[in-house]
Order: sequence, then C-alpha cells, then structure tokens
Amino acid sequence: MFYRIAGQYKTSYHTDYALFPVKQDAWLLALILLFAFVVFPLTASDFMFRALLIPVLIYALAALGLNILTGYAGQLSLGTGAFMGVGAYACYKLITIFPDLNIIVAIALSGFFSAAAGVAFGLPSLRIKGFYLAIATLAAQFFLLWLFQKWAWLYNYNASGAIQVPNMQLFGVTVAGAQAPVLAQYFFVLIVVCVITMFAVNITRGRIGRTWKAVRDMDIAAELVGINLMKAKLSAFFVSSYIVGIAGALFVFMWRGAAEADLFDIQLSFRVLFIAIIGGLGSILGNYLGALLIVALPVLIGTVPAAFGLPISSAMVEHLNTMIIGALIIGFLIIEPHGLARFWALIREKLIIWPFPH
Amino acid sequence: MKFTFKAALLSTILAAGLAAPALAQDTLKLPNMSYRTGPFAALGTPHMNGQLDYMTMLNERDGGIGGVRIAFDECETGYNTEKGVECYEKTKSEGALLTQPWSTGITLQVLPRTNVDEIPMYAPGYGFSAMQDGKTFKWAFNPPTSYWDGASMIMNAISNGNLDSLKGKKVAFLHLDHPYGKEPLPLLQALAETHGFELLPVPVGLSEMQTQSAQWLQIRRERPDFVVMWGWGAMNAGAITEAVKTRYPMDQFVSVWWGAHEADLNLVGEAGKGFRALSWNFADSNSKLMQDVKKHAVDAGKSQLNQGAGEFDYTAYQRGILMSVILAEGVKVAQEHAGTPMITREQLRWGLENIKLDEARLEELGATGMMAPFSMSCSNHTGHASAWMVEWDGAKFNKVSDLVEADRSVIDPLVEKAAADYASANQPWQMNDDCAQ
Repeated sequence: MFYRIAGQYKTSYHTDYALFPVKQDAWLLALILLFAFVVFPLTASDFMFRALLIPVLIYALAALGLNILTGYAGQLSLGTGAFMGVGAYACYKLITIFPDLNIIVAIALSGFFSAAAGVAFGLPSLRIKGFYLAIATLAAQFFLLWLFQKWAWLYNYNASGAIQVPNMQLFGVTVAGAQAPVLAQYFFVLIVVCVITMFAVNITRGRIGRTWKAVRDMDIAAELVGINLMKAKLSAFFVSSYIVGIAGALFVFMWRGAAEADLFDIQLSFRVLFIAIIGGLGSILGNYLGALLIVALPVLIGTVPAAFGLPISSAMVEHLNTMIIGALIIGFLIIEPHGLARFWALIREKLIIWPFPH
Repeated sequence: MKFTFKAALLSTILAAGLAAPALAQDTLKLPNMSYRTGPFAALGTPHMNGQLDYMTMLNERDGGIGGVRIAFDECETGYNTEKGVECYEKTKSEGALLTQPWSTGITLQVLPRTNVDEIPMYAPGYGFSAMQDGKTFKWAFNPPTSYWDGASMIMNAISNGNLDSLKGKKVAFLHLDHPYGKEPLPLLQALAETHGFELLPVPVGLSEMQTQSAQWLQIRRERPDFVVMWGWGAMNAGAITEAVKTRYPMDQFVSVWWGAHEADLNLVGEAGKGFRALSWNFADSNSKLMQDVKKHAVDAGKSQLNQGAGEFDYTAYQRGILMSVILAEGVKVAQEHAGTPMITREQLRWGLENIKLDEARLEELGATGMMAPFSMSCSNHTGHASAWMVEWDGAKFNKVSDLVEADRSVIDPLVEKAAADYASANQPWQMNDDCAQ
C-alpha cells in the first residue's frame, strides 16, 4: 500500500536501471532531505546540532569511505582513524601555511593527502588478503599516530601538541572555529556529505564500482575476465581514503575545534568499522543507519533519565548506555547479519507486497 | 495495544532529545564533567567525590550558598573529548553558570567556545597555564596554581632554592604523552637553558601507562639526578612500582600534585619511602572543614565515598573538597556583589575574579593549613597559591617543606607570549579591555 509499485512500468533499460526505479524511494529521500535542510535547522537546538546531527553526518561520511574499501572492494582496513588524522592534519597545515586559502579548497585538497597515504599503505593489498591485510593497515594506524605525536611540524610546534582550528570565513560567514554559528557548520557538513554521497552512489553503480565488486567477490575470476587488480584495488584505496580524509578534516574543523593525536587512535578506527559493519557492508544507506545507532542513540539514551527526573547518576547512565547499545548491536546482528541496510531492504520488500504475506 | 506502546516509547525518546529540560529557577547550576568510568577513573573518582561532597555539605548545612541550593550535577565523560563537547552543549542549554571541563584535552576544545558563549570555565589546578592572563582569557580560571607555577616550584624545591646548583645535572621529565603532560615542557626547557641543567623528556604513551619498562630502562641507563613526574591516572601507580622495581632512589623522584595519591603509594608501602610530591593542598581529616563534610555528607549517607578504603583521608579527596571550596567562595563573592543570590554567568565571572582567600577566611572555613592563601584579580586568573612538598613516609604523606614559591620572573613572560599567541591564532578573540591592572 505504502510502497505500491503496480503501475510504474519500465519501458526501457534506462528507466529500469534508474537511480530510483520505484517512485516512493525518491519521495522518501526527498522527505529526509526536507528534514535535513529545512525542518532541523528551524527546530533543533545547539545541543542537537553539536551532539547529534553534525557527528552523525561526519561519522557516516567516514564509514562511507571505509565502506567503499571494505564493502565494495573487499579490502579490510583497520587504519581509518589514522587516515582521518591525515586529512585533519593536512587541512590544518594547509590553512596555516596559506591563511587565505578557501576552506572548501583546503578540505578538498586535504583529502588527497590521506588518499596518497591510503594508496601507500594499500600497496601490500596486491600481495596479501583478508586478515593479513588488516594487520598491514593496522601498521598504518600505529605508524601514523606515532607520526602525529612526534612530528612537531605537523602541529606547528604547539606546546600542548594539539591542533586548534582558527576562525575561518566562507562567503562572509564564519564556518570554522569558535566564532562559527552552529547552523553554518551544520549546513557546511550537510552539503559536503550530500555531494560526496551522490558521488559515491554513482561511482559504485558504474564501471569502477563493478570492477571493485568483481574483485571483492573473487579476485582470481576478476583477473581472468581482464580486470587489472592493481588498478582496481589501488583506486579503491584512493577513493576510500580520500573520503575518509575529508571526514577527518570535517571532524576537527566543523565539530571538535581542537584535536590531539590520541583522538585518531585505534578506537576511532574500530568505531567507524563498527558503523560500516552494523550499517551494512556494501551499502551507502547503511552508513547513515549505522551512525544513527552507534553515535546518536547513546546521546539520546543519555538524556532519558534527566527528562523523566530519574535519580540515576551520570556514571551509571554511561554504564547502562554501554550495555543497551551492546545488546542492540548483538540483537540487530542476530536478526539481520548483513546489517541495518539489509534490514531496511527486507522491510521495504514487505511493504511493497503488503498486505499479502508472499 | 502493542503499536501504541511502541509509538509512546518512540515519541518519548524523540521528545527527550528535542526538548531541552525545563530550567529550574531555584538552584545554582554548577555542573561538573566527571569521569568515574574509563582509564582515569581511579584518580578522577576521589576528586569528583570531594567536589560533590562539599557542595552536598553546603546544601545540608547552610541550605546552599546564600540560601540557594546548589545543583552540582555531573556529566560523565570518561575522559573522552567527544563526550566533553556533548556535556558542554548539554549543560550550556540547561543554563549552567559555568563549565568544569576536568581534562586538558576537553579544556582545549571548550576554551575558545567559552569566550564566545560567555560562560566561565573553572579548571582548578589543571588546564592551560597561560589562562592566568585574565586580560586575554576573560572567561577562564585555573586557581589556585597552574602547571607552570608547579614546575617552577618543583625545580626550586629540588635545588633548595638555588637553581644554579643544578648546573651539569640531569633531570628526567617523565610525562604523559598528551596535552596535559606536555604542558610544563616550555617552562622546563627555558629553565634548563638559563641554569645549565640537562632536561631529558621521557614521554609515556596512553597505551604504555601501566607497563613503563621501556621508560624506566631509559632512566636506569641515563642515571638522571632527578625524575620529575607529570602523570595522571594509572600512569602514576605504574611509575612508582617501576621505580621501586628498578631501585631508583626515591628521594630523587618528585611528582606534581596528582602524584600525591595515597592509593598509588599504598601499593609499594615502605618501599616508596622518600617519594615526594608538590601539593597545593594537604590532607587534614581533623579540620573543621573535613569534620563538617563528614557529619553532613559522609555520615549522613549522601556521599559516594569508598569509606572502607580510607578514601576520606586521601589527599586527592580533600583536594576535590578544596576545589569546591574555591568555587563556592567565588559564588559567595558574586552574590554579595550582585546583591542577589541568583547570580548570572557574568556575575559569577566577577566573583571568581575577586576571590580573596586569606588566612582569616581560610580559618573561618576551617581549612587552615590545608591550602595556602591566595587572591585573584581581573588580570590574575590563577591566584598563584604556593604549595608544599609532601613526602611519603611509608604510610602517609607529611609536609617536608615550608610553602614553596614559583619564580614569577620566568613564568610571566612565557605566559604573556603564550596568551598573545593564543589570541592571535583565534582571531577575532574577545579580550577583557576593562581590566586596568
């Protein structure tokens, strides 16, 4: 009823392979975008923006980057946190060396630094696979973190070893730094995330995306049908690390305002990996669903006791939070091991044939 | 039925997220960012218990400050900077009078925002040393003493007041590899250069806190004349046990105030004899202040204190008490100046700037000998209280020195430069131009 596809005829291959073969999908997306661009900015508080919306978008973007590598090209990576760090430090160096640089340009350029780091640490993927590759990317994680701590040039020899975001303007509006109004930062992040998501949707549906999927499903077979494995794997590392680097730059410049090296430790890599896995590997939508579960839900749960006036200490809420989120993760993975995106796909299929069971 | 229950649950979750909790008008909101969970909980918890218990005591004994009860709510961060942002925004939206970030990492994130949002930031005994410059850091306070003051006092104490006597000697600086641990480095480097001693920084990564074998191997090889420790959480206990294991002479091992923690020294007991720490507070469980806390908070069952472990006598717990004493004093001064008990953020800022904790006031509070007297002003947001060297005798800490002074002539120029650098990196930065001192 809600998702009735009867009457939506496809008369050409073009329409059959359109981005939204079912009209309702497009309507749903339009509704979500309406909320993101109009409803939230009109209603949300600073707390909603800084603790929920902006972090969800940034984490989803990082997971999207990882998902291209792990979900589409099948190369497991544990270095996401460090690649985010490369993006953040590159952006910081760029804007301190060239203070007049436009922040969009700086962020776009910083992605290339993390992409280069990603390709360099992706080279072993040509020889090793699976868990062994994960260990190689783990080396990237530890090495880069060590570099962020020891190479004082990266943080301009700051005594505290941390990087601090200066106030930066874009078209006359402060978008980064403490002076930036939260709405400007939110729109900046939202637009960047939308643009990159569109890019990711298209690249994964096209020729390049298909070579990645072929490599993921069986690399020997892919090689036999004429796919250049080196090109496919390294391009996946490049695109993935580029997006992850941009997410890292946004992470520090649009949200945190300051960062020390320890921010980009292995915990961050795991967090992004969990978002990608729970959201659903090999899906774009999954990253957003995963980020909602891992990033937004704990914040929401944390506000529940205060809203009801329950006398629970803040530390206890934190403990309960860990338990609830843990239980939910296990629960969701038991219900649908392929992640929340697959879960949504099942719901959608059921809605299409509703009210009939089959 | 099932559907309505789910809908109700969903809508409550949504409502809880969307609606900021109603502002209660009859309390002074002084929230604290606690970390009773995570890797630093062991040292965080006694401090947070102390801060909370003093406020509880004021609520029970006096009905709050100036007749208004204090809402000393905690927001748990687990020392995680990400949670820090969340807690800052949450408490701000709830109408908090100030923010207490409780971590140098969170301080770095929150400091520029407080200047824009005009919220006082209270970082007692931690934070960014340059915050003493109240003209630049209009909204930030770190009484009673800063890390640079502490580093200078330690160097003065171990050289018996004559830094030139350290010439040619080697001082290892064992520190947490984190903004907090790196904080005193510029000062120590400046001192090393002028007085000709060799400074050997030995960083301890967050992942190596418990097993510092590599660091202590280096210390054993280099044979420094002193080891100065700037540690936190599990790092202190790790360093003290390693020092005992490698038989480093304890009388050459000195820590900043966080190292004066009985639980860490109890692990080694007699073997830790001679270990010294610079502490701006001294535990005195028989003082009137502590007896009041005991009567109104601890014995009344309103404290989260671990009494079985003797936490009440801990230097760390009583330091937490004093942190709240200073804050409550600021609130009281603000109320008297404003003529109303319900103060605003701006009025609290004025109050903190005009704290005068002299001997007479400390005696009135029942805290004589627990901390040194100090006062603040619009240009001095630290107060620069002096501190004592305390020494572990195998069972407890004893004062082994008179009040040690910091060397202002070395610190102030560094502060001035750091503050100017900070302001220029954060342009446009709001300075306190009204401050004439």
